[in-house]
Amino acid sequence: MLPEETRQDPMADAAAAQPDGAQVVEVDLRAQLAAKDDEVRSLVDRLKRLQAEFENYRKRILRDLAAAEERTSDREIVAFLPLYDNLARAFSAYARDADVGAFVSGTERIFGQFAQLLDQKGVRRIAAMGEPFDPSLHEALLSIHSQKEKNVILEEFSPGYVRGDRTLQPSTVTVSQGPAQEEKEEQ
Amino acid sequence: MREKIIGIDLGTTFSCVAVLEGGSPTVITNSEGERITPSVVAFTETGERLVGRLARRQAITNPTNTISSIKRQMGTDHRVKIHADGKVTEYSPEQISAMILQKLKQDAEAHLGGKVSKAVITVPAYFNDSQRQATKDAGTIAGLEVMRIINEPTAAALAYGLDKRHEQTILVYDLGGGTFDVSILEIGDGVFDVLATDGDTRLGGDDFDQRVMDWLRDEFRKDTGIDLSQDASAMQRLRDAAESAKKELSSRMETTINLPYITADAAGPKHLEKKVTRAKFESMIDDYLQRTISIVDATLREAGKTADTIHQVVLVGGSTRIPKVQELVGQRIPGKINREINPDEVVAAGAAIQGGVLAGEVDEIVLLDVTPLTLSIETLGGVATPLIERNTTIPTEKTKTFTTADDNQPAVEIHVVQGERKMASDNKALGKFQLTGLPPAPRGIPQIDVTFNIDADGILHVTAKDKATEKTSSITIKDSSHLDSNEIERMRKEASEHAEEDRRKAEHAEVRNRADQLTYSAEKAMSDLGGKVDGAKRSEIEDRIRALRAKLDQNASTEELKRGMDDLSKSAQDVVSKAYEQTQGPQPSSDSGGASRGNGSVPEDGGDYIDAEYDKK
Repeated sequence: MLPEETRQDPMADAAAAQPDGAQVVEVDLRAQLAAKDDEVRSLVDRLKRLQAEFENYRKRILRDLAAAEERTSDREIVAFLPLYDNLARAFSAYARDADVGAFVSGTERIFGQFAQLLDQKGVRRIAAMGEPFDPSLHEALLSIHSQKEKNVILEEFSPGYVRGDRTLQPSTVTVSQGPAQEEKEEQ
Repeated sequence: MREKIIGIDLGTTFSCVAVLEGGSPTVITNSEGERITPSVVAFTETGERLVGRLARRQAITNPTNTISSIKRQMGTDHRVKIHADGKVTEYSPEQISAMILQKLKQDAEAHLGGKVSKAVITVPAYFNDSQRQATKDAGTIAGLEVMRIINEPTAAALAYGLDKRHEQTILVYDLGGGTFDVSILEIGDGVFDVLATDGDTRLGGDDFDQRVMDWLRDEFRKDTGIDLSQDASAMQRLRDAAESAKKELSSRMETTINLPYITADAAGPKHLEKKVTRAKFESMIDDYLQRTISIVDATLREAGKTADTIHQVVLVGGSTRIPKVQELVGQRIPGKINREINPDEVVAAGAAIQGGVLAGEVDEIVLLDVTPLTLSIETLGGVATPLIERNTTIPTEKTKTFTTADDNQPAVEIHVVQGERKMASDNKALGKFQLTGLPPAPRGIPQIDVTFNIDADGILHVTAKDKATEKTSSITIKDSSHLDSNEIERMRKEASEHAEEDRRKAEHAEVRNRADQLTYSAEKAMSDLGGKVDGAKRSEIEDRIRALRAKLDQNASTEELKRGMDDLSKSAQDVVSKAYEQTQGPQPSSDSGGASRGNGSVPEDGGDYIDAEYDKK
């Protein structure tokens, strides 16, 4: 700092009034400023490093999540492979013996194995026929007049499944609109 | 913590909400676990209100009280009449949109774990003042203070950070489920100016599904004489199959649509099985795609621009995943195509960024660079062993521990390289230094910590420290992160082009290292324990050591080395493994990838110990 500049500083003016203390105060302030500068620099560096670490952490988490998802899929696929293999066995046995009865009973067993696996995984079939339509469980493909009450499910096209409180796939259904107008009037 | 401002893409068929977290936009998953929410509202018999997926599922049972595509009515006097609970209620498009916004708001609150009251909402660039005002009003009705209404193409450009570039002209090609929009923007000083916008409000991915569906139905009729059109269940299965075939053909050249038991006639059950190639699908939708390109041309003309004056193209909307779309746009516009961000989410992401700016959150975030390319050191066999992977945010610091390759090696050389190639010599050399004065020790014993520290200015400090003597040596490399973007691109491209060749080279180097380690261990075992081995066995082992050593000297192929190693391991298994355990300890189990690992050193502290080795220079 140049002397001309320091003179414009009120602190320097105050110091000028007391020539003996001036130097001491200035040196002290400079030291304090330098210390603060250092502190700010180190804090900013820490902030940047922390933020960078957060960013890198986020990237790692995203990578880990994707990897975990892959591994989860792997595990699920492995659980279903025996079914695939057993079906292949059923076909090759049929190709060899052409025994329809044996083929059907074999396939039934595989189907039973499939059902058991779904059950173990906590998959439950959604009740549909005759139930009141619920969009959280069912998807309406058709809506027709019928003698049944309005909003009752008349037909299930394809089954739906839940696992815990999550709907894996809604059942697709036909929903009753209730009796047609004329019928109502006749009654 | 200050209040978050969420970003909402209020779409015609789907909506999406995102928020800025730690400086990056995060898409918020809705209560059904999905990242986008159908823009559908329904009122049930009992007056219950459904929004999103559930509203869509019940649409057919309740067509008059289910409202979709309300966005098309924004800013008009249109009134939706709802018959519920025995009375008729009228709703304005604003009110219906507000119900969608309310669900998005609730989902955001569940994600953030607190109240949300402020939002940035996007609208098409062609929306007029009353449509914009209606959108703002919808927000207010939903209990959101709309901090700003921004254009969808602008939001998409923001998501790609294009506002931070110099003056540029940007074309946004937005092909969604039901609408197509093209906008040409000019950016200068961080301000976007819409030069022209055009589109087709009835063209999108749903039309493509319909084409595939129609084709399947026609093919099935040709094959079986059965018309599936009247069979609601079969048509639903066709629709789902058409959509998944369309999606699959974005990543595969061919797919099979397989719908067993699709229907039945007197002769028994009928199955549908059809192969569709990508080319076939492209031909089905070609007229639609050509139409989008002619709209692009018209928009260019309106903006007074030519294709070669467009610097950046941004692809928005799920249908831009179709390779043919990318190809056609790329052929028409030579500028850089941006499509890295999920095209269903890019608009919401941009809105979230705008929200973050308005909340002052962006100012609080220090802008940090990332390392554009991987920083590695050269290890035994010329392999590049990464310390800091590319795209790591800086400042950052990483340390790995290395060891020596030879007995009594007095020094190691640290050769710092940059790039994605597996072999150090194929990467860019940044600097070299030596750490000398290592005390005599068998190979694999010294522990040398190598630390890469990149500060916020991108300056890389590399330090090597011998743990035993505390001796250190270091180098400072400037501008490790400030590379010309063309050079970065070139280096990345080279790496992917040479991926297979590099993998082979790296494998060869690794096998060489293992072969070398094996002969070393075997020789050591023979000199330590050889007396206990009977003569015939002993000379067999010695022969095989010599044979493998010779193969190494002749730089034999990977396969030959492996054979030599097999032979030697078989005859010397017991002897060597005993000796190996005595001299080296157990094999480290971690990390089989890349560099010269899997031999040598003992992780003493169980910590971050990598036993790559230095080549003796």
